[in-house]
This record gives sequence, structure tokens and C-alpha cells, in this order.
Amino acid sequence: MRIPFFSIFISSPFDALQEHAEKVKECSWAFQQAMECYASTRCETFDDHRQEVTRFEHEADEIKRRIRGHLPKGVMLPIEKFQLFRYLREQDAVLDAVQESLKWLSFRAEASIPESVEKELFLLVDSVIEPIEELAHMVGQAHIYFRNFSEKQRRKVKEIISNMRQMEHDADQREFALIQKIFATENDPVAVFHLVRLAETIGSIADHAENTGDMMRAMLAK
Amino acid sequence: MPTEVIVLIVGFLVGFYMAWNIGANDVANSMASAVGAKAITLRQAILIAGILNIVGAAFIGSHVTDTIRKGIVSTDVLSDPHIALLGALSALLSASLWVSFATWRSLPVSTTHSIVGSMVGFGVAMGGFSVIHWGVLGAVVLSWVISPVFSLVIGFLMFKLIIWIVLSSSDPFGAALKKSPWFIGTAVFIIAMSFLFKTPLGKSLSLSTPVAGLISLMIASMIGYLGKWAINYKLDAEKKLRLGAEAIFRRIQIGTSCYVALAQGANDVANAIGPLAVIYFLVKEGTLGATVPVPFFLLFLGGVGIAVGIAMGGRRVIQTVGSRITTLSNTRGFSVDFSAATTVLVASKLGLPVSTTHSAVGGVMGVGLARGFEAVNFGIIFQIMLYWVLTVPVAALTCIGIFKFLLWVT
Repeated sequence: MRIPFFSIFISSPFDALQEHAEKVKECSWAFQQAMECYASTRCETFDDHRQEVTRFEHEADEIKRRIRGHLPKGVMLPIEKFQLFRYLREQDAVLDAVQESLKWLSFRAEASIPESVEKELFLLVDSVIEPIEELAHMVGQAHIYFRNFSEKQRRKVKEIISNMRQMEHDADQREFALIQKIFATENDPVAVFHLVRLAETIGSIADHAENTGDMMRAMLAK
Repeated sequence: MPTEVIVLIVGFLVGFYMAWNIGANDVANSMASAVGAKAITLRQAILIAGILNIVGAAFIGSHVTDTIRKGIVSTDVLSDPHIALLGALSALLSASLWVSFATWRSLPVSTTHSIVGSMVGFGVAMGGFSVIHWGVLGAVVLSWVISPVFSLVIGFLMFKLIIWIVLSSSDPFGAALKKSPWFIGTAVFIIAMSFLFKTPLGKSLSLSTPVAGLISLMIASMIGYLGKWAINYKLDAEKKLRLGAEAIFRRIQIGTSCYVALAQGANDVANAIGPLAVIYFLVKEGTLGATVPVPFFLLFLGGVGIAVGIAMGGRRVIQTVGSRITTLSNTRGFSVDFSAATTVLVASKLGLPVSTTHSAVGGVMGVGLARGFEAVNFGIIFQIMLYWVLTVPVAALTCIGIFKFLLWVT
């Protein structure tokens, strides 16, 4: 049947983008559980949590490929297609950083987190989860903006982005505090190296979350 | 049975089939954006489009038709009634074949251009290339570019305007309601002008441009304010909150898509009924002039054919309406309808044989360029345009083939 309108319209990438952001969020929660499990002495489910993270990462990867594969040449979106791809890459990088942190942790699976730095470490973990939760919220709100082009809605998204920036800043502070604490309390060079690198990798999760915010800000620019 | 009677019967069948095709294909042009934007349900759309197409065809449709659509071929080729009879039939046949093919392949081609192309084929078969009025053919070629581009520009500007004065304001609903007389008024102005200029009913009033403009302006401002009242009538607070400005445009859009349906019935019925009228007239009178009268029952038959096509084609539209058009909200739908209707009016005033289909596609592109859609695939446009261009030569060649065959048979 000849339906010119329908053959021009293709499915919106924003729904999939939201789906991807939700996966990132769920993945970060699984990461948080894995970290808590690792720190506790009686943890036997660390590998399960880690597998869960890997599963989320795979699912998110599929969504990413689906978005990229279904935007043919000549597609017209409310934003530049490649801007969207850059954004998606950054949103996906959050997941990679989560996975990287767990991988790094597993390299010294036999050694638990020293009690002296535990508090600082969990403060850091919590502070990198926050911007990720905000990230999923941002995608949803931005989707609404691209539908209704309301100035009020645009301000709302900008506010979320600035919140994310603040959260990344807090996470940086905590990463700094943690590293300081590691040097102050640990004497074993191997443990120091492992913990410092762990702190940096976890910290980078928030960096990528902030980057998605910045990318989104660019997409909102009039 | 004499050949004339057979030709007349076949002509009736093919003419009705052509009308059916117009209905089956063009229900999308008038109603797709309204259904997609959930201004009306599909069932309502089919009913409204069916009724308005019959009304448009029977009461506004041309009661006099050019013997050769848009005068593309010199009427000299019609001096022999027998040849003219076969020519009209082959034109009708080849145009319906092409439109059927396009229907099958889901390609938006113009029914007007199919008939024009067929006429060219008949002309060439009879009198060679010298009988073709190249200026008219040039206008057809020009319309491939002009109607989508013009519609694109209007669609783009209209949607940008909506963003600027409605969507980005602090209270989009309030702004939309406050400005609604302007939006309705402008649309009504275009509609009134096109009725006064484009339709035979309006032409019979023979108003001068300033007078027609003044009348349209008065009607537009009146309906604009009445429309504002009608929009606000029984609009519940829940919808207001959930849809915002879209709620306003949802109601405006019902009007604009009705107009497109009505105009379509009025304008496109001639594509199916024009050649049939020629056959009918020839069988009855035996001779032909530059124009022939079209009896009311033929127009009505054409309208019914279109309505039946809408009713049957609509079913398949239901299957296709899915996730694809969720991004088409009412503000976008209004912009598309508005740009298509405006293009059809202005271009016809300039004497260009434009197609509603081309204009509607252009309108979608315009809103897309204004960043109005979450995802539209412009890549497909080139494919669509290829078939616009192919329409004339393919219809012409098919017509030559059918005509030669009929000559050989009779």
C-alpha cells in the first residue's frame, strides 16, 4: 500500500537511548552490590554480581548496536546523528569503566579491602552511583524536551546536567581523599598500587557520566 | 455488441478502478498525519475521508473537463472519434496499471502525473512528438521540484514559528490557545482562497483576487475566533496538563485534514473520471471539443470509487500504523497539513499540475529539517523522487503499447 508518510518515519532512537541509560543504571547497582560483597568477609556471590554486570554490559551493547545500525544515511533527527553517536559512546563508556573497576578488583581477589580505607572507598562508590542515576533521569527529561521544545523543559535538563557536574566534582574529592588515605595507611607497595589504581578506575565512572552530561548540553544548544 | 459499447463498459470499470486506487492510496495524504498524531481514530478518518471525498468529487469536482488532461497534447489528434475513443481508454488503462504497480510497491506517485504521462504516450503514438505541448510538459517537470521544495519551506517555517511563539513560551498551552485564532485563521484563509480559486464552484462565482481575498479574510477571522471557542469547549484539565499545546493543535488538525480530503476529492476525481467522460461523451455524441461536460452521476461514481478505495485501503493502513509514526505529534501534523494545502493552492493558481502527494512529502521534509521529528529517513526521498520522475515516461510507454494493441484488435 502506498503510504508515503509511513515509509519516511522510522523508529525513534530516543526510546533505545533511554533503554540504554536504564541498563547503565541497573549495571551500576549491580556494581555497588559486588563492591559491598567484596568488602564483606563472608562474600561468596562476588562472581555472580560480576557476571550480572557483564550481562548488563552485553545487553547495553546490543542496544547500542541497534541504535547505530538503524539510523540510515539521510536520517533526520532533532540533533546531529554523529552527536548522538558520540553521546552514546560516552554513555557506554560509563559501563566500560564499571566493568573495568570490577576486573581490576578481581586481579587481587584473595586480598580484601583493608578496613582502614573501607569507609572512604564506599563513600567513593556511592558518589559515582549518584551521577549515573541522574544520567537515566536526564535522558528521560531530554527526550521530553526534544518532543515539546519547551524552554522550561530545557532549563530542567540543564539543571540536571549541572547537578551531574557537581556530583562528579564530589566524586573527585572523595577519590582524592581515598588515595590520600591509602598512602597514609598502607605500606605494602603491591596493595598501594592495586588500591590507588582501583580508586582511579572507580573515579573514572563519574568522569564518563559527567561527559555524557556535557554531550547532552551540546545537543541542547540552540 | 458494437465496439463503442464494449469500450464504454471497460471504461466504466477501469475508471472506477482508477478512482478506487486514488482512494486507497491517498487516504494517507489527507488523514495519515491526523491519525498518526491521534487527532482522530483510524475508523473516524476512513469515514470522514470517504464522505468528504464523495462530497468533494460530486459537488465541487469539475463539471467540465479538459478533453486532454491539462492540455498536454494538441487536440488535433482527437479528430477521429474512433481513435479518440481508443486513446482515452488506453490512457485510463495505462495510468491505472502504473498506479496499481505503485500501490503494490508502496510508492507515492501522483495520479495526476500518471494520466498526464498516458496522454503524452497517446499523443506521441498518434501524431509524433510535434503534437506535445512542451511548455505544459515542462510545467510537470518543474512541479517535481517546485511542489516539494515550496512545501518544505512552508513546513519548515511553520514549525519554527510554532516552536518560537508557542512551544518555547513559559506557558505553551496558554500561548497556543491565545494564538489559535491566528493558526486557524491562516489555515482557513488558505482553504477559503483555494475554494474560491481552485474549485469549479468557486470559479463560477468569478470573483476578482482582491474581493476573494477580502471575503476569505473575513471568513478566516470569524472562523478563527469561533475555532478558539470550540477548541476550549469541553477541554478537560487532565488533557490540558498532559498534552499542553498539542491538545490545541489536535483539534485544529481535524479541520486541516478534512480540508485536504475535500480538496482531494474535488481535484483528483478528474484523473479517473476525465477520460471516462471523454469516452461517455464520444459514445453519446460522436464528436469532441476541447472540453467535455462531466455529468453529475459520473462525478458521484468517481467519489464513491474513491470512498470505497479509502474504506478498503484503510485496512492495510491500520497494519502499517505502528511504532513508525509515534513521533508525529499534532503540532508537526498541523505543519505538514498546512504546508501541503498551501502548496496545492499556490501552485494551482500558477497553473502547475501539482500533486498533493508531492506536497505532503515536502511538508514532512520541512518539519524534519526544522528538527521536528525524532527520526525521519530522508534517504527514502530519493527513491520516492525517482518514481515521480519515472511516472510520466512509464505511463506514456505503457499507453503507447496498449493503444497500438487496441488499434490492432479493433
